[in-house]
Amino acid sequence: MAKTLGPVRRKFSPWNDPTAKPLIEFRNVVKRFGDFTAVDDVSLGIYEREFFALLGPSGCGKTTLMRMLAGFEHPSEGEIRLAGASLAGKQPYERPVNMMFQSYALFPHMSVEKNIAFGLVMDKMPKGEIETRVQEMLKLVKLEKFAKRKPHQLSGGQRQRVALARSLAKRPKVLLLDEPLGALDKKLREETQFELMDLQQELGMTFLIVTHDQEEAMTVADRIAVMDHGKLIQVAGPSEIYEQPNSRYVADFIGDINIVEGRVTAIDGGLIRMEAAAPRVSIVMEDDAATSVGATAWMAVRPEKVRISHDAPIETGVNAVHGEVWDIGYIGDTSVYHVKLDDGGTFRAAVANVSRTVERPIGWDDRVWLTWSKTAGVVLTA
Amino acid sequence: MKKHLIASVFVSGVAMATGAAAQEKVVNVYNWSDYIDESILEDFTKETGIKVKYDVFDSNELLETKLLAGKTGYDVVVPSGNFLGRQIQTGVFTPLDKSKLPNLKYMWPVVTDILAKYDPGNKYSVNYMWGTTGIGYNVAKVKERIPDAPLDSWKLALDPEYVLKLKDCGVMMLDAPDEIVPAVMNYLGIDPDSKKPEDLKKAAEYFKKIRPAIRKFHSSEYINALANGDVCLVIGWSGDIKQAASRAEEKNKTVTDPKKKVEIGYIIPKEGAYMFFDNFVIPKDAKNVEEAYAFINYMMKPEVIAKASNYVKYPNGNLESQKYVDKAVLEDKSVYPSLETMKKLYVISPFDQKSQRVLTQVWRDMKRK
Amino acid sequence: MSTEKSRSGRFLLVGIPYAWMLVFFLVPFLIVAKISLSTSVMALPPYAPVVESLTDLWRKIGEFSFFNYLRLVQESIYVESYLSSLWIAFSSTVIMLFIAYPLAYGMARAPKAWRPTLLMLVILPFWTSFLIRVYAWIGILADEGLLNWLLVSLRVVDEPITFLATQRAVYIGIIYSYLPFMVLPLYSSLEKMDETLLEAAQDLGCTSFQAFWRVTFPLSIPGVIAGSFLVFIPAVGEFVIPDLLGGSDTVMIGKTLWEEFFNNRDWPAASAVAITLLLLLVVPIVIFQNAQAKAQEAGR
Repeated sequence: MAKTLGPVRRKFSPWNDPTAKPLIEFRNVVKRFGDFTAVDDVSLGIYEREFFALLGPSGCGKTTLMRMLAGFEHPSEGEIRLAGASLAGKQPYERPVNMMFQSYALFPHMSVEKNIAFGLVMDKMPKGEIETRVQEMLKLVKLEKFAKRKPHQLSGGQRQRVALARSLAKRPKVLLLDEPLGALDKKLREETQFELMDLQQELGMTFLIVTHDQEEAMTVADRIAVMDHGKLIQVAGPSEIYEQPNSRYVADFIGDINIVEGRVTAIDGGLIRMEAAAPRVSIVMEDDAATSVGATAWMAVRPEKVRISHDAPIETGVNAVHGEVWDIGYIGDTSVYHVKLDDGGTFRAAVANVSRTVERPIGWDDRVWLTWSKTAGVVLTA
Repeated sequence: MKKHLIASVFVSGVAMATGAAAQEKVVNVYNWSDYIDESILEDFTKETGIKVKYDVFDSNELLETKLLAGKTGYDVVVPSGNFLGRQIQTGVFTPLDKSKLPNLKYMWPVVTDILAKYDPGNKYSVNYMWGTTGIGYNVAKVKERIPDAPLDSWKLALDPEYVLKLKDCGVMMLDAPDEIVPAVMNYLGIDPDSKKPEDLKKAAEYFKKIRPAIRKFHSSEYINALANGDVCLVIGWSGDIKQAASRAEEKNKTVTDPKKKVEIGYIIPKEGAYMFFDNFVIPKDAKNVEEAYAFINYMMKPEVIAKASNYVKYPNGNLESQKYVDKAVLEDKSVYPSLETMKKLYVISPFDQKSQRVLTQVWRDMKRK
Repeated sequence: MSTEKSRSGRFLLVGIPYAWMLVFFLVPFLIVAKISLSTSVMALPPYAPVVESLTDLWRKIGEFSFFNYLRLVQESIYVESYLSSLWIAFSSTVIMLFIAYPLAYGMARAPKAWRPTLLMLVILPFWTSFLIRVYAWIGILADEGLLNWLLVSLRVVDEPITFLATQRAVYIGIIYSYLPFMVLPLYSSLEKMDETLLEAAQDLGCTSFQAFWRVTFPLSIPGVIAGSFLVFIPAVGEFVIPDLLGGSDTVMIGKTLWEEFFNNRDWPAASAVAITLLLLLVVPIVIFQNAQAKAQEAGR
């Protein structure tokens, strides 16, 4: 655990390099099951050594996309390329890709070491080498003592490690992780996330993870693709996804956010002015969103970027709303205030609990002002 | 004599359940299958008010096993002679109170005398029917294959020279070791009643020569097979072969092609044949003894037993009844053999434990190809 | 009070199966075992000594003998019958495995909506009495029967093949009658198998065929064993099928036992045959189960 935090995420952004060639390429991939379109025209490049996350609610098509890469499903249209070669017609066992299954899919009739060795045996690797590799893998996932056990004699966390070791044993070009941590409790999950990151760094492999847990995606991934109804909504790094969501869907899916609908009244040198009806508020944001005067737009601001105060701000007409504290969520490191606005609707503000006592704490039913700066949020057009 | 074991096991279960029924008068009878004119039972009930629960079996072995297990629930059962003999020794039957059987006076001394060999002094049993074990054959098919067929001799069935010629048209035999093995010994000039293992084995050794001709050993299927023309020669019971003959006659009426008509003959071979007796006895643990006497006595009425013989084509042990037996049946020498022929018939004494075991083993070998 | 009550309730619940085993298995077994040590006599009942009470048993213990068991070894027919029965049961079990496995596999992989119907089709024959079904085979297998009619009219053969009263007919009868008992355990073990295991195997480099042999089949072994026991054990002691469909050449222990009981009326010998058959079947099963339990223990 000493090095679980691992190396700080390095400067790694081949997707910004026009000369870099992606390892995996989805080209206009469509997958239909009968009338249902599970994956709808997805084009995506994933680069070597990248830790890439497919994020979305269940049924958004992320698992189907991954299964097509593994070879369990075949695209209805479009093609998938790996290292420059098309995967069309290749069976799962012909692809240099391994998958760690959500259910782990450990072979119940085989011991831990036999499970790990399975892929190597199928590759007809010499016996001695298999043994060495299995030992190496057992050490990697810290299960040396459990080599002879059967899966049903292991805890959930241990099984997860066996599954991981088994999928890594063949040193695939790409490791696919299908909700790999879904069955673990929160604490173990968080630890394992960091271990996964370390592992990926150490092995220098490309990881593709499917998850519905946005925190997990944010933690582990270099880039995240947010999916909805079979479509890619936004593909970007975690901070960009968080700070610069390209749509209300992404903004809402990732973390907590206040969204106010309004009409654009002026666009002026990097400033967008909006008027909102509910709540009644004038908004000025520093944003270069592609919108026009008279159009409907949305201002989105994260709760932690909203200031909450008993006192009215100096300029009450802009980026400020007032109301009554309706609920306070104490999360430990922060408190989230749910404020019922006088003009209708609610607004949330998060305050870090920096000091142990506050001179005049904001309590239930207090009348408060909520304000945010021009740079605190974004203007969304969709 | 094992036929359809399972069927009879099911049927007999019913008797156990109904045996101890209400107060009404009942007699539980356990007889061979296809061995009575059912209207006789109705007449009996009409006359006496006693209901008859009538179950059937088709092998002496089955009956014996039930008797030895005890509590059969039956009041009247009908074992065959050699089985009767050894069953009497075990004490499963009640000695008959002859004052309750006035109709005994009609019995045929020729039959009761032979029966005394199994039942000394006729203390336990009253004969119901008897018969011979002989050869049944398809007249046309046998003549076609063996123009000079010896139609009065065991040679036809036991000499390989003849019987092997009949292989293609089908030969069947009773699955009854206590009848076939003595018949072979008799043919070989050995005492048919011999119980010596070496004699029994001699019969088995000889039998190998004719075994290839035999299609099947079965104690009831041959009736239909013979009537339909599926087999052309059987060793079977006289009454059964007569039944096959009359079934064939019935069928001939509907057949126009003369070649397809079937005519069945029955031979009591001149070398002598086995004579069997099926006899009424009362088990020791019978519940309705009075009703059992009433039933046996009723069956000994000359008119009644004559009606039975007319139906099943077996001769009975009741001399007076011969006045009432149909002429066609009475004068048929293959049903009622002449007294001269009867002298040549033989009976078999019971097999004891040891010889029975040898017999079973010999029979198993004989049946194997 | 209430714990007292629930404890006695639990005792009752656990006790019922034991009582059942005692009354319907152990007691009859002991009675038959006792008869097997007696001597056959012409009496009612046809064996001696007859034991009337436990003290009686003590007094007569000297009269018991192992003669009947000795005979089983001395007379070749018994050894032959046992071996022949075991062989017929074994080979028909193997044949059934080959027929039932694809059947069960197909059922387990069929669309979920079809499965109850398919299962029903397998169970359907049970709605007709076993005996009637075996009798029906007489009609099918006869020289002039349905099967020969079909074979001749399809010109597969020129002359009818004799099925009835041959070993072939016994195999057909046994396989037909017991097949469902093989299919059902196989189906249940195949049906509950996680299909992602197969995907995992393929992902790790198996073709579908290899995945079957390395994953599906090993995991269905409990079903294979259960099905095999379910058909092998009754097939060894089968009497009705060889009696109705087989000929004089089919020697099976069930028939030999029948002859011992009905033809020789030797109840003690018949009992010895039955007890030996039981031991012949139970002992290997117990050894096998012990071995399995140990194997599981070792895996821990």
